[in-house]
Amino acid sequence: MAPLIEARDLTKKYGSHVALDRANLKVEAGRIVGLIGPNGAGKTSALRAILGLTHYEGHLTVLGREPFRERTALMNECCFIADVAVLPSWLRVDNAIDFVAGVHPRFRRDRATAFLAKTQITGKRRMRELSKGMKTQVHLALTMAIDAKLLVLDEPTLGLDILARRAFYDALVNDYMDETRTILITTHQVEEVENLLTDIIFIDKGRIVLDTSLEDVATRFTAVAVTADRLDAARAEKPFYERHILGKVVLYFENTDAGKLERFGEIHTPSVSDLFVAKLSGGAA
Amino acid sequence: MNNSNWLIRREFWENRAIWMIPAAFGGLLLLAALFTQVSIPRLTTTQASEEAAAAFWVVVGGMFYLVMGVYSTWYLLDCLYTDRRDRSILFWKSLPVSDITTVLCKLLVAMVIIPLVYFAAANLTALIAAFILSIRARASIGSSLWNGNVWGQVQVLWLYVIVTTAVWYLPIAGWLMLVSAWAKRAVMLWAVLPPLLLYILERVFFGTHMVGQIISRRLTALPAVSFNGSKYNWTHEGGVVDNAGSAAPSVWHLINPSGFFTSAETWIGVAVGIVLIVAAIQLRMRRSEI
Repeated sequence: MAPLIEARDLTKKYGSHVALDRANLKVEAGRIVGLIGPNGAGKTSALRAILGLTHYEGHLTVLGREPFRERTALMNECCFIADVAVLPSWLRVDNAIDFVAGVHPRFRRDRATAFLAKTQITGKRRMRELSKGMKTQVHLALTMAIDAKLLVLDEPTLGLDILARRAFYDALVNDYMDETRTILITTHQVEEVENLLTDIIFIDKGRIVLDTSLEDVATRFTAVAVTADRLDAARAEKPFYERHILGKVVLYFENTDAGKLERFGEIHTPSVSDLFVAKLSGGAA
Repeated sequence: MNNSNWLIRREFWENRAIWMIPAAFGGLLLLAALFTQVSIPRLTTTQASEEAAAAFWVVVGGMFYLVMGVYSTWYLLDCLYTDRRDRSILFWKSLPVSDITTVLCKLLVAMVIIPLVYFAAANLTALIAAFILSIRARASIGSSLWNGNVWGQVQVLWLYVIVTTAVWYLPIAGWLMLVSAWAKRAVMLWAVLPPLLLYILERVFFGTHMVGQIISRRLTALPAVSFNGSKYNWTHEGGVVDNAGSAAPSVWHLINPSGFFTSAETWIGVAVGIVLIVAAIQLRMRRSEI
């Protein structure tokens, strides 16, 4: 099966600033992919290109379509939440449902109303009267009621408190995700999505630094906590990153035989956040 | 087609001023009709009575037209700007509605739907005001402002004005939409500044004022282009008797659709308008939030 999203040499320039620099990435169907990068790394530019919101250079297909030219058709099968604060303040909840039901062929009103029935939100309320957490619920209700193949979330929980964040991700995983759907999430808060992702893509300075599934992370990356006396020997195996904590040094290796590393100390698979820091802190040792 | 329907409803949800301003303005006029001094002279001849009625209807319509002009200008400047400023464009663009449909629906609202709302409001206001004034002036219904013939002709006049306004002001509307789709702030300023700058530069460097002339003609020449000049003052001095044999002043001799629709000026304006609107659509496709 062809990948759901495929980008080759995707480039986006704003004047002389290069937001995306010949980025390559692939997203397969049925995955939950985190597009992770520091602020200004090009995450949003990548998403804008994928969603057809901006012009770009290079090759890009999403669900077999060219996003910029075919945004309207693409939005039949793909939906996105770009920060939940974007529902217009004057819009009433019931009107929002009417509108989406009116223009979206794959919207299932009963699902949206069932989702909202579980909340305290009533139809006559305007967005401006709702708290940020409630707006999130409205946006989720609208989005989850759409039978979309691809859901794109851009920093979806920005500005939400911890309860609302948790509720957002729980709803996403429990009520929405199944094998026919694919989710692409951008965030700079790695810890928050770590447990739900199946794939990670790291982006930095407009380039893709890493694109891998979490299963592969375990075989590909190894972290070793090394004591001072074995440090030089371990360094000879060429770690790509070193971290000093409490008198110990944790060395990060890529594609190095774990058996060989065991003799330097305790080995473990790095968490996504550790890997993120390790990969993006630049240069080895 | 279905999408357009929803997009137009959407405009009414967002811009309640579309109907609230004419409703409030109509209410104000009715209060004036109730409480101000009026003296309607007892009109004895049919002709005098019809002229008074016509003048009344034209004045009411004219006032609504001016209010509409101000509101529509504001609406056009705002319509592709607000949702970029508050970032809600990201919500609208997450739905399968094309930018072409969106922009054209907003244009349709500004040039056709808002005028029809004002048309209805002006009619309702004038009818009620005529009723109030007739009673206050103790005029008998027959010789007062209630006049079926005049009313019918005023309908023709107003609808004609709506059509010609939409066509004639298309380049202005296109320019306002372009600014609305482009500006990052201060839309009003951006709408006025470039033409003004062009005007000044032309004055300074060439000593001519073509730009000023073109713009001021576009803004003011609609009556001259769309009406027969000699009968513009709504009298029947020409002595023309319409088909029904009535001696009433006939709107059919006042309006000049053949002149308007064959004027090169009209169609140059339409062409410029289309170019500007296409540019606004292109910008809309490329720009998201500010």
